[in-house]
Amino acid sequence: MNFFRIAIVTLVLATPAFSQQPSGYQERDFLTRVRRLTVEGRRAGEGYWSPDGRRLVFQSEREPGNPFYQIYVLDLGSGETTRISPGLGKTTCAFFRPGTDEIEFASTHADPKSKQYQDDELAFRASGKERRYAWDYDPEMDIYAYNEKTKAMKRLTTARGYDAEGSYSPDGQWIVFTSMRDAYNRTLTDAEKKQLETDPSYFAEIYIMRADGSGQKRLTTAVGYDGGPFFTQDGKKIVWRRFDEKGLIADVWMMNPDGTDQRQITDFGSMSWAPYMHPSGQYIIFASNKLGFENFELFMVDTEGKKEPVRVTYSDGFDGLPVPSPDGKQLAWTSSRSGGAAGQLFLAQWNHEKALEAIRNAPPRKSSKK
Amino acid sequence: MKRRFLLSSAICAISAAAFLSAADTPSRTRRHVEALASTKLEGRLAGSNGERLASDYLIAELRKMGARPLPGQKDFRLPFEFTAGTKDGGSTIALASEMPGGARALSFSDNGDVTGPVVFAGYGIVVPESQDFGYDSYATLDVKDKVVVVLRYFPEDADQKTRGILARYADLRYKAMAARQHGAKAMIVLTGPRSPNAGELAPITFDTALAGSGIVAISVTGAVGQALFASSGKTVEEAQKALDSANPHVAGFELPGVTAGVHAAVVREKRTGNNVVAYLPATVPATTLAKPWVAIGAHYDHLGHGEAGNTLADKADANKIHFGADDNASGSSAVLDIAATLARQPRRRNVLIGFWSGEELGLIGSAAFAAAPPLPLDALAAYLNFDMVGRMQDNKLTVQATGTSPAWAKLIEQTNIAAGFDLLLQTDPYQPTDVSTFNSSGVPCLSFFTGTHADYHKPSDTADKIDYEDLDRVADFAAAIVRRLEDGAEAPQFTKVEQQTQPGGGRAGTRVFTGTIPDYSTDVKGLLLSGVIGGGPAEQAGLRKGDIIVEISGQTIANIYDYTYALDVLKIGQPTKVIYVREGKRVETMLTPAARK
Repeated sequence: MNFFRIAIVTLVLATPAFSQQPSGYQERDFLTRVRRLTVEGRRAGEGYWSPDGRRLVFQSEREPGNPFYQIYVLDLGSGETTRISPGLGKTTCAFFRPGTDEIEFASTHADPKSKQYQDDELAFRASGKERRYAWDYDPEMDIYAYNEKTKAMKRLTTARGYDAEGSYSPDGQWIVFTSMRDAYNRTLTDAEKKQLETDPSYFAEIYIMRADGSGQKRLTTAVGYDGGPFFTQDGKKIVWRRFDEKGLIADVWMMNPDGTDQRQITDFGSMSWAPYMHPSGQYIIFASNKLGFENFELFMVDTEGKKEPVRVTYSDGFDGLPVPSPDGKQLAWTSSRSGGAAGQLFLAQWNHEKALEAIRNAPPRKSSKK
Repeated sequence: MKRRFLLSSAICAISAAAFLSAADTPSRTRRHVEALASTKLEGRLAGSNGERLASDYLIAELRKMGARPLPGQKDFRLPFEFTAGTKDGGSTIALASEMPGGARALSFSDNGDVTGPVVFAGYGIVVPESQDFGYDSYATLDVKDKVVVVLRYFPEDADQKTRGILARYADLRYKAMAARQHGAKAMIVLTGPRSPNAGELAPITFDTALAGSGIVAISVTGAVGQALFASSGKTVEEAQKALDSANPHVAGFELPGVTAGVHAAVVREKRTGNNVVAYLPATVPATTLAKPWVAIGAHYDHLGHGEAGNTLADKADANKIHFGADDNASGSSAVLDIAATLARQPRRRNVLIGFWSGEELGLIGSAAFAAAPPLPLDALAAYLNFDMVGRMQDNKLTVQATGTSPAWAKLIEQTNIAAGFDLLLQTDPYQPTDVSTFNSSGVPCLSFFTGTHADYHKPSDTADKIDYEDLDRVADFAAAIVRRLEDGAEAPQFTKVEQQTQPGGGRAGTRVFTGTIPDYSTDVKGLLLSGVIGGGPAEQAGLRKGDIIVEISGQTIANIYDYTYALDVLKIGQPTKVIYVREGKRVETMLTPAARK
């Protein structure tokens, strides 16, 4: 499972299992011809479309010497997969830059200890021990832009602290991203220092910068983890997820690219994250563990958040990180539905008309606060 | 009916074109399935006329596409012999005089004539000491060179728990082995008056591919039973009743003055099945490809009219034609279609096309092929197997045996991008289909499967229920994999997969794990190994494919049943002596059984 543009939360607390009225719809009403895209390696996920819809960029653990994610581009025509990240260290959260040959992603390869961490993790796995999967918010993570033509890599962030979860605006001029630099660029109180040790994601906030890395600006200030931001298809809004202070409840939010007009879209009383706007601009698809702490399913909700979210997936295991294709007719997402704990990348035909109908028929939003 | 979407982006345009052609043109595989699963072919039982007709069809199709018999072979058919059934060949029993109609051989009996004094050995049950139960019908008896009479089944009045234990050792084969190991020359089975089927002869059970169990064994009628006990001063019923509480101290006894002459005759019906094997020669001159062959295959036999006892149909339907449209006309049709596709394309490797028979009786055909392969199996870069690929649900395709090579994951991932299945991968090659045979021979392999269903092994597995559109897609997918295999300069590396559980044939309740893979298809005396499990106790003891185990822990092994019974005696973690025959020589080794996971 995969906690990137999300980042969770190693606490295991049972979320109260809110019951939800059956919507009368099933998975096959929305998703047909489900196909598994990735097979190789231990896990794969976070597939994001190229603007022409012919390729996906994703992260996968699949190389013998490196137990961490690297970034790959999958050509849906030929089936060929090419690694574009350096191969050293950890990477995450890649995104195609529209109108260019660039792909951004976050990487720790500049950290001289990267190789050591790889060897340590491989030795740990070889010892047969297991631990719960958790994303570690490596403070050496920085955002890079890779050029597919020139093969050059340009570093866009340098601040101490985790910089990742980046994505471009539709015009390719801006990157919205998550940073934990706030934990390092000021003096922390004792309580905050303790917080940094146990859950650094508490310090995560949304930032924006130009595509060349200039003009970095903070957009959110609320306590708790703000992360996983994406522009909407028209570039006029940013959709992201905001955790509460304890890091257990998250909801989908939207704001203007300058940080104004921050509005809560869901009030779902669960961990709702990885929101992505459908290219029609009519609804947001996201993941939530509404039905049980480890049972993430895909849901969708109208952009005003007036209706109760509609459940999309009905499969055992993890379903998350939904990304509609640019034409809105397909959906790529990460799922462990084929067995095992680790996710793989899946693709299905997306029934937009049925989705609209189901959202229309959904009951008005209930409040999680009684 | 699945809905089709017309898609705008380029990748999707390709798919859309494929969808359209699928909808507009008839399925390529339909005519094959309909022919193979037709009434005329009567369920294609191995060795039957239906099998013959099915092989005619396959050969005609192979000829059409330009495939040839394998190098050095004149015919597409590669025959193999197997035991298709057993019947009594006039067994008799004589006491003072012959008692007509009084005897019938047990299906696993040796053929022969035995005369000797008679000992009644109760139920003839020996519970291994390892069970800490203490029940041995032979504890106080000397039966060496004598004829033993045993009751069928197990003590009738025992409590549930006791019955549960005794039942495990009450199989007639097990009783025959116990009698043999105590030195008896023959075993007579009597169904006691207090048991079901009282006084009746035991039926001859269906028994494939096995020779006798090393002892003459018959069942006799109640009248013969009375005659046997006449001089003992007890009736059969009294003797049985004394035993029926399962009191371990109630012993059997000699039947004074009785001499029995036993004539046992079992006719094992040998039949000939036919694998159909062809190849498409490479068209591009092979330079120095290490493994210049790629193989695809499927079994084409099925259950006939359910004769072999492996039907799952209700009694009323058990004798009807089992059409086997999914199992495995679907796989055979996929292989024909893949071969036809490959026949039209340039090829860097030879393509072997195998249609196996006798799969339903225990992988007999493919095992016979692998036992005497017409070409060295290490020339095969890979083997792709198709068994039940016609009932796809929700786009789900299971690919098994992916653990046999590190090359598979990448190859499957690349090929499936265009094919677009919701793949379920299973690393395990120890599957109940012919892929298991090729894995045992060290060939990297895959097996394709669309899942089981309610019509499995029933007459209702018919051609009209096949999902032809998706069957065509499976064939396309596999053909693309074969193309990549043909084109690759390197052949996939073979990886031995350690087995999690022992294959079928072992009995429920066996707790020890030895890591042997028995060959179910031969009639050698002993247990022929078709392989050993990587890292398992047998491999560690030095055993390997082709060895014949003849003794384990002091018990002689004549066949697989002896072997499974012998396993009950073994203690986990305690080394035990195993004697096996390799290249005609007896070899001794120590094997340490492990706990079954």
